[in-house]
Amino acid sequence: MRKIHHSRAGKFALAATALVALAGGFVGVGAAAASTVSADTTGETYVIGTDTTFAPFEYREDGELTGIDMDLVRDIAASQGFSVEIKSLGFDAALQALQSNQVDGVIAGMSITDERQLIFDFSDPYFDSGVQMAVAEDNAEITGYDDLAGETVVAKRGSEGETFANSISAEYGFTVKALADSATMYDDVKAGNSVAVFDDYPVLAYGINQNNGLKSVTEKEQGSSYGFAVNKGQNPELLAAFNTGLAELKAGGEYQDILDKYLDAPAASSDTSFFGLLADSMPALMKGLGLTLLATGLSILIALVLGVLFGFFTVSESRILRGISTIYVSIFRGTPLLVQAFFFYFGLPQLTGQSIDVLTAGVLTLSLNAGAYMTEIVRGGIQSVDAGQTEAGRSLGLGYVTTMRRVVLPQAVKIMTPSFINQFVMTLKDTSLLAVIGFAELTYQGQQIYASNFRTGETLLIVAALYFIVINLLTMLSNKLDKRFNK
Amino acid sequence: MSTVTSKISVRGLRKSFGANEVLKGLDVEIAEGEVVCVIGPSGSGKSTFLRCLNKLDDITSGTVIVDGFDLTDKTVNLNEVRQHIGMVFQHFNLFPHMTVLQNIMLAPVELKRGSKADARATALKLLERVGLADKADARPAQLSGGQKQRVAIARSLAVNPDIMLFDEATSALDPEMVGEVLQVIRDLAAEGMTMVVVTHEMGFAREVADRVIFMADGLVVEEGTPAELFGNPQHVRTQDFLSKVL
Repeated sequence: MRKIHHSRAGKFALAATALVALAGGFVGVGAAAASTVSADTTGETYVIGTDTTFAPFEYREDGELTGIDMDLVRDIAASQGFSVEIKSLGFDAALQALQSNQVDGVIAGMSITDERQLIFDFSDPYFDSGVQMAVAEDNAEITGYDDLAGETVVAKRGSEGETFANSISAEYGFTVKALADSATMYDDVKAGNSVAVFDDYPVLAYGINQNNGLKSVTEKEQGSSYGFAVNKGQNPELLAAFNTGLAELKAGGEYQDILDKYLDAPAASSDTSFFGLLADSMPALMKGLGLTLLATGLSILIALVLGVLFGFFTVSESRILRGISTIYVSIFRGTPLLVQAFFFYFGLPQLTGQSIDVLTAGVLTLSLNAGAYMTEIVRGGIQSVDAGQTEAGRSLGLGYVTTMRRVVLPQAVKIMTPSFINQFVMTLKDTSLLAVIGFAELTYQGQQIYASNFRTGETLLIVAALYFIVINLLTMLSNKLDKRFNK
Repeated sequence: MSTVTSKISVRGLRKSFGANEVLKGLDVEIAEGEVVCVIGPSGSGKSTFLRCLNKLDDITSGTVIVDGFDLTDKTVNLNEVRQHIGMVFQHFNLFPHMTVLQNIMLAPVELKRGSKADARATALKLLERVGLADKADARPAQLSGGQKQRVAIARSLAVNPDIMLFDEATSALDPEMVGEVLQVIRDLAAEGMTMVVVTHEMGFAREVADRVIFMADGLVVEEGTPAELFGNPQHVRTQDFLSKVL
C-alpha cells in the first residue's frame, strides 16, 4: 500500500525534478540535484525492517531498539527530514517482508552479495565486516580450522557466516548446522551441541565482551560490506536519501562516533543478579504481555462469533451451510497454526498486493484458527442437549429459533463453557507463535532480551512464569464466572 | 363413523428411516372426543405413528389431516397446528434450566397468548389441577418421576390444545407412581379431550379407551372396543400378544 504509493510518487517526483532542472538550466538559474532528491523524502514515513537481535547492530535495551544500524538509520532520517518506523522482524522475516512490500527498506547488518543484488537495490556500504570463528571459553582443543574435522559447527541461516563455513567445510571435513539467531547459536556451542560458531566479527566481538561464554581463536576473515536495501526498483528516493545522509555523517564525524560507541566500549550490564535481570526486563516484558492479552482478547471475541455462526451451520438442515462449515473447520484444523501465520503475513500480501500489519495478520490467524475449534465446541454443545428437549419445544408450537434460544442454547452454553475456557487458554498460549512474524508479544520480548544479554535460561524462566501466572489467574476467574452464571 | 367429522384422519401413512420401513400404510380415523389407545409389541411402530400426528417425524407418504390441516401440505404452518396438539413423552422432557412454573409458562408467553400475569395464573391453575400447586418454584430435578410427568401434562395443556398425544407416558415410572399419572389422563378423558394414548397399561386401556388399536410390524392388525379386542381378539397376532401381557 504505502510502498506502492511511495515508489510511484517517487518516480513522478524524479521526473518532475529532472524537468525542473532542465527548465532551470534554460533560464540560467540552476538547481541543486542533491537537495531535490532529499526533498522527495521530506515529511514521509518509511517502514524499516530489521533483525530481532544482531548486537551491536540492533538489539534491545530497556525495551527500546538500539545499535549501530538503529542509530545510523535514525540519524540519517533526521538529517534528511523523513521519519522511520522500525519493525523488528528477524533477519529472514525482514527480507521476506521487503520482498512482499510489507516494509519499505531493510537495515539488518546485511552483507551486500551478488544473489541479494538480484532482488534488492543496495545503498553504499556502511560497514566493512568479516566472518570470525568462536569456540566455548573452556575449549582448549579447537585452535584453528584444522581441529574441526568430524565436528559440527553452527552459523546463522542465510548469513555470510554460513556461506563462509560452507565454503571451507569440505576442505576441513566438518558439518554446518544453520540456526536462526546469534543467541541460539552461542547457547548451542556452550551446550556442546556444536564445537564452534561462525558469525560476523562485530557481533561476535560484542558478545564476547558481554561475557557470553565464548572466545575467538582465529583471525577474522576478509569479508563483505553491509548495506541498506530496498526492494528492486522500489523507493529510489529513500535509497538516495540514505546515501546522502551516510556521506554527511561520515564527513561530519558522527559516523565514527556511532561505531566507537558500540564497538570500543560495549555497555556493561548494570546488574547481573537474577533480580537485576527481573527488574531490567520487566518494562519490556510487560509491554509484550499487554500485546499478548490484546491479541488474545480480540482473537477470542472474533473466534466466538465465528464459532457460533459456523456451529449453527453444522447443525443446520441445509447441506450447503453444513458443507461450508465442514470446509472451514477442516482447513483450519488441518494445517499448522505457524503455516497459517506465515501465510497471512507474508503470503497474502504477495497474492493480493495489499500489505497487512502484524497485529491484523496475527489476530486474523488466531481468530480463524480458534474459530474452527469454537465451531466444534458449539456443535458439540448443541448436539449434546437431548433431542427430547427440542421435540418438547417444537411440540408446544414453538418455532426453531425460539426453541434454540429458550430451550437448547441455555443448556448448551452451560456444557460448552469449560471448553470455551480451555480454548481461551490455548489461544493465549498460541499468541507466542506470532513471535516468528515479529509480533512484539511476550515471547518475542523475551527473545529480544536474551539475545542481547545471553541469559537465555533465566529470561525464559521469567517469561514462562508470567504466562503461568496470567493463565492461572484467568482460568480461576473464568471458572468462578462459570460457577456463578451456570449453576 | 363418518370421516367428515374426523378430528384426525390418517390415510395410507408410510414412514421409512433410510431403508427401514417402520409404518407400512396405516388408515386410522379418530373422532372428536374419542379416546384411542394404541397397543402392540415394541418395534411395531406405535410411537412413530404418534409422532407423525404432529409431524415430529417426517411423513414419507400418505396423508395426515388434523383439525382440517393437511400436515403433508408444505404451506401449512406447523407451529400453528402443533398448538392444537399437546404431546406427553415417555421421558417427560421437562426443561431442566427452568422452574416448574417457567416450564409451563414458556409456550404461552413466547406465543404471546395474553399477558405474563395471565400465563402465570393459568399455570398455577393447571398445577393445582394436577395436584402440584406447592411445586411451582421447584426445579424438575427435585421432582419424582410421577410429579415430572404431571408437570409435563400441565405444560402441554397450557396452550389449550384440543388433542392430546401420550407416548408411553407411564413406561419410565416406578410402579407406585403410575397411578397418579393415569388419574390425570383419566380426568382429561372424562372432560371430553380427544386423545391418542400409546400404552402398555392394558388395564387402563380397557377402562378408559373408547377404542383400542393393536399394531404389529408397522400395520394396524386389529381394532375395536376394549370389550371386543380384549374379550374376543380375532387375529392370531393379537391373541398371541395379549396372552403374553395379560
